[in-house]
Amino acid sequence: MIEIVETGPFNTVQDLGRPGYRDIGVSASGAMDPLAVKIGNILVGNAEGAAVLEIQTFPFRLIFKRRSAFVVSGTDGNPLLDGIELLPWYAYNAEVGQVLELKQPPKLARAYVAIGGGVDVPCIMGSRSTSLRGNFGGNAGRPLEKGDRITVGEEAGILPIPASGLGVVEPAVALRAFFPRSAEGSLLIRALPAGEHRLFAGDGEAFWGQTWRISSRSDRTGYRLSGDPVVPMETVEMRSHGVVPGVIQVPPGGEPIVQMSDANTAGGYPKIAGVIECDLWRLGQARIGTRLQFVRSSYAEARAIEQAVASYIEDVRRTSGLIKRALKAMA
Amino acid sequence: MIAPSNSHALQREILSSTKARARVSSIGARSFLLEAPGDFDLAAQRRIWALSQQVKGWSDIAEIIPGMTNILAILKETPEDPDVVVDRLLEAWDNARSIDLKGKTIEIPVHYGGQHATDLPALCDLSGLSDRDVVRIHHEATYRVFALGSAPGFGYLHGLDPRIYMPRKTVPSLRMEKGCVTIGGMQTGVAMLTGPNGWNSIGFAEMQMFDPTSASPAMMAPGDTVRFLPARIEL
Amino acid sequence: MSAIDFSDPATIAFLTDALTAAGVAGLEISAPSGQLRIVVSSAGEAKIGSNRSAQPGSVSPVLVRAPLAGYFCVAHRSGSAEVSSLPRAICATDVLGFIRVGPVLLPVSAGRSGTVTKLLAEADAMVGYGAPLFEIEVQS
Repeated sequence: MIEIVETGPFNTVQDLGRPGYRDIGVSASGAMDPLAVKIGNILVGNAEGAAVLEIQTFPFRLIFKRRSAFVVSGTDGNPLLDGIELLPWYAYNAEVGQVLELKQPPKLARAYVAIGGGVDVPCIMGSRSTSLRGNFGGNAGRPLEKGDRITVGEEAGILPIPASGLGVVEPAVALRAFFPRSAEGSLLIRALPAGEHRLFAGDGEAFWGQTWRISSRSDRTGYRLSGDPVVPMETVEMRSHGVVPGVIQVPPGGEPIVQMSDANTAGGYPKIAGVIECDLWRLGQARIGTRLQFVRSSYAEARAIEQAVASYIEDVRRTSGLIKRALKAMA
Repeated sequence: MIAPSNSHALQREILSSTKARARVSSIGARSFLLEAPGDFDLAAQRRIWALSQQVKGWSDIAEIIPGMTNILAILKETPEDPDVVVDRLLEAWDNARSIDLKGKTIEIPVHYGGQHATDLPALCDLSGLSDRDVVRIHHEATYRVFALGSAPGFGYLHGLDPRIYMPRKTVPSLRMEKGCVTIGGMQTGVAMLTGPNGWNSIGFAEMQMFDPTSASPAMMAPGDTVRFLPARIEL
Repeated sequence: MSAIDFSDPATIAFLTDALTAAGVAGLEISAPSGQLRIVVSSAGEAKIGSNRSAQPGSVSPVLVRAPLAGYFCVAHRSGSAEVSSLPRAICATDVLGFIRVGPVLLPVSAGRSGTVTKLLAEADAMVGYGAPLFEIEVQS
């Protein structure tokens, strides 16, 4: 059991999402940075898809009502346990009554709190993610509020976390060869042309060539981008069709929208491009105001990145398990 | 083989599909959208239903989203060669035989007019019909659920009488109540969530049509027949 | 005896496989009964040696030793060049460095309050289990 002591708005319970129901209009939801969820869960000894807390407004504080292993992942801010500064991306043990505090991180958007045993809210339609739009799932279908008491699953069979903690070389560092930044420091997000790309002049050069800014009208549903509007050469009447996170639509105003985790299941705006799936977590960590550029990708590149990420996750799983077992044996 | 009973219809469809091929595009590296050529009609949607049933069974498919005469196929993994996926979808479309889903019939009691019918006067102006006629035309028709999407359990209903077509608003209503009976272009449907909505409201339905805790959360399914029953008319 | 019998060939084989799979170069385990050392050669076959525990030498000043075999990191972010100046006062829970095995980092905490006077291992060097990393002078 944990209790929320302090929280900003729109902090929710999330897991890897609720795919499989988009054909009945249910958004997949799920964490904006699924890679952080997987690594956090692996480090505490959970299944990689266990439910966690997604914190995107700060400060945030919770109190542990039971001795628990926990990780704060995804973020570049140092969590505090009873005021003692800890490292992000590290598993630690919290004693009963200890308070975990997350302050506004320096650069990144979202922190994930994984707890040994997993956040145990009811599993609805195969997921514990909060569907904010549908008002179901997660913590009674709504964001976390001060005073909420949330059950945590049993830690049975979980290997103990070493007293000084156990962490990882975070993905952005371990996989930096696969996730470059531009020389000017803007975020490079790789994408492939989508259905209506041909309607934009000069092979979409106005879209690919400029640096966009994530506008303040951005949330878990989608990011609106500010910049020089891109307008199709002709207007087409689109029939409503399925969409997925990463789709970059161009509404009549010409400022693109990138659909994110709470993406609507259907859309009808012209689609200029689609972010490759393995870059979505980086977009999920980009804050309002972030400058970004889209880079044309390829299927071969997308596959290479996916494989690198998968082998990193597998390496963390195997090595952290091995170390925990070795330290337990030596203890 | 070819069913003898409607071979004419079948030949016509094969002919039309060779005239204009379906189009396949992609979203990201794993999702592929097939859009049927030709009109937005029941014939095209029946082939989409057939295609959906087939594609759903492919081993590399994570999920499908049937839309309005289109289908989005989401793969489990990024394919090595996207052209192979495109060809496979096009071939499946070319071979898709029209099916008619044996759906159930859903009767939805509607309170026409009243406080929720915010766009009924505008629809009367647009159509030149009286409010009474608009309501009568709406509830006398029989509708088919083409697909679900946009909101949990929301069914896009086909079969609206062209006399009461009304384009979506360019500026959506900021807060439309869940339950509003709405018209969007040539379609109708019942709003499933309270919030911004670009469709035009002419009435209100109390019926609960989505329950996330149920084994089958959505009441409507593609192919279902929907009738609106005028429980109350307040004009 | 510890819970795991390190003289059991099956245990050694398991550990060797796990080390190879994890891309770890070696592992040293000390138990009262002796010491087990597995070094995975580049070809993937393991050399295994074990010997009797050596008598500990003089204990002053106190050494902070590697809790595990792996790469010694002074800072938790490879690439960050922040190396604290010595000598430096620390308390028992302070993390002085890290042992990295593949992508996983194990913090090395001081274990006692005092003053770190010496860095005894090279940054990013492979260190064995029990290798001295820091020297601490305990305040009395």
